[in-house]
Amino acid sequence: MSYYSQILTVIIINSILAVSLNLVSGYTGQLSLGHATFMGLGAYAATLFALKLQSPFLVSIILGAAVAAFFGFVIGVPTLRLKGDYLAIATLGFGEITKNILLNLKITGGPMGLRGIPKVTNVYVAAAALVLVIFSLNRIINSRVGKSFIAIREDELAAESMGINTTRFKILAFVIGAFYAGLAGGLYAFLFRYINPKDFGFMRSIEILCMVVLGGMGNTYGAVFGAAIITILPEFLRSVSPVVAQYRMVLYGLLLVVMMIVKPQGIISESSLSNKKREKSLEKGGL
Amino acid sequence: MRKQSKFLILFLAVVLVVGLLSGCGKKEETKGPDISRGEEETGGKTTKEEVKEEIKIGTIGPLTGDVASYGISTKKGVEVAVDEFNQKGGINGKPVRLISEDTRGEQTETANAASKLVERDKVTAIVGGVISSETMTAGPITNDAKVVMISSSSTAVGVPEIGDYVFRNCLSDEVQAVQLAEFAVEELGLKKFAVMFTNNDYGLSLKDAFEKRAKELAEVTGIETYNDGEKDFRTQLTKLKGKNPDALYIAGYYTEAAKIAQQAKEQGLDVAILGADGFYSPILVELGGDAVEGSVFTAGFFTDDPAENAQKFVKAFKSKFNEEPDMFAAQAYDAAMILLTAIENAGGVGGEAHQKEMLKIKDYPGITGSTSFTPIGDVVKDIIILKVENGKFTKLR
Repeated sequence: MSYYSQILTVIIINSILAVSLNLVSGYTGQLSLGHATFMGLGAYAATLFALKLQSPFLVSIILGAAVAAFFGFVIGVPTLRLKGDYLAIATLGFGEITKNILLNLKITGGPMGLRGIPKVTNVYVAAAALVLVIFSLNRIINSRVGKSFIAIREDELAAESMGINTTRFKILAFVIGAFYAGLAGGLYAFLFRYINPKDFGFMRSIEILCMVVLGGMGNTYGAVFGAAIITILPEFLRSVSPVVAQYRMVLYGLLLVVMMIVKPQGIISESSLSNKKREKSLEKGGL
Repeated sequence: MRKQSKFLILFLAVVLVVGLLSGCGKKEETKGPDISRGEEETGGKTTKEEVKEEIKIGTIGPLTGDVASYGISTKKGVEVAVDEFNQKGGINGKPVRLISEDTRGEQTETANAASKLVERDKVTAIVGGVISSETMTAGPITNDAKVVMISSSSTAVGVPEIGDYVFRNCLSDEVQAVQLAEFAVEELGLKKFAVMFTNNDYGLSLKDAFEKRAKELAEVTGIETYNDGEKDFRTQLTKLKGKNPDALYIAGYYTEAAKIAQQAKEQGLDVAILGADGFYSPILVELGGDAVEGSVFTAGFFTDDPAENAQKFVKAFKSKFNEEPDMFAAQAYDAAMILLTAIENAGGVGGEAHQKEMLKIKDYPGITGSTSFTPIGDVVKDIIILKVENGKFTKLR
């Protein structure tokens, strides 16, 4: 696989991750710091299905995503009664627990990880997955369920008084997000042919969150854009000039800081749009 | 509908950005003087024709991030090897150029770095990765491209098994322990071993290997464990003393080892002290004093090694970087020297011919020991064994 198509594939996989976190954090307003965990669970499950049970690629990644979704449900039921910071800490804790379990189980290869995964993922497979994910997400967001997500984000109390079962919808958003993240994890495993618990740690979760915040919370295409920027930036700086390459991680951080100062609401943000709408309605004298 | 077209625009934007990226890359190849890519640069323009005239090798390793120190040492070691080849006129008259890529110790970056080196820079061979997960990720990529890659520090199980084009030049914990057990029995004539090990993966793998080999050759009378940071080992030592051993193998680091040796002496357990590369630090003697005198341990590299090639390396390294080389630098230097020697033997080409030459390397006189490879590309070498004599390290083997 060529260098550029490899980068493009990584961008697409990261886009799926960002888009799925965006559903949880951007649309439903629940801050999750353990998104990489679901990616890891998906990656491990898909790999184990493929290596141990010889299941075909498509079946493996879908089963992997389902396993991630199942864990999303298991962790979502107790934690989504929590709000704001508490939820963030709970998801963080879940991430650490999962990482340590993966590090110590025999079947996951412990710190050695799993190797010998066949290479199946390519640009086309990944792109097809992204299109499907975005298509289904759009359907969800534009449905009654999606409107409920947004209502929860805007004002949980108001949403509840409108008859929305907030916990149920929050869990639903979480499970869907985990499913897509697991799917991305499966694609990731079949791209790099080797997985290791370290790669699904806290830093990866933060990276995914960066993509969402940078691109614009609450906008699917913003998330895709953010994923593209975060993925390309370090590689781009690598090839600009060798002097730049030496300091690329400094520049990378600096660029992120500058972008957040210049456009704190993200590059493509839906909230900026809805703010305008709100201002207009305020001008008219009411919400 | 609107959303769908918006997506299309975005997708196009992404594709365009990638296109831009590739444009930049191509420009860079033909661009003028390139400062960093290393001191190895012959200077002047790197036009397309000249690019063909040089032999490029790459390194993959963390130059930033929390494991950066290993990656930087590795890169420095390789740089010394490349300098050495360039000073004697390169390979078949072609200068060697080094291209070092950073991985941050992260998987995606490693894969990208490997693809970039193989595909865009078209390197002949690669030294890397530094940590095992890097080698596991980069290995399949370079192996598919038939580019020889040699890792100088990935001790994990399964590295050479990745493929024919993946080699390694470092000894695992198991090998050091096994070789020390053999040395202790055959050369030092010791027969009854007691073992103390620190309770982590390092101590555990050393202990397991030592115990197994020592039991085959002689006798293991007792095994006790401790934790790093502990100061009092009298309980364990008293128990071991009751078993009447004639040697104590300490599978751990120098701080605790020095204290264990002292307390053993106080307890009247005055036996030969054996250890592994965790002993290798001047602090061992500072803390241990008389108690560690005469202790014997394995090491990956010895800076005061009287061998000519080792001193040449230490001198070159010191004059270039103004610091002492560590084990990572030494192993990387050896790996790069072997790699470049094999390229020279293959007539300056990489790929299949190079891989065959790598396998032909037999008893290469490296600074970290005489080196050969098994058919799958794992290293076989005699490990260095050091002894404390008059408060200084001396080489036994």
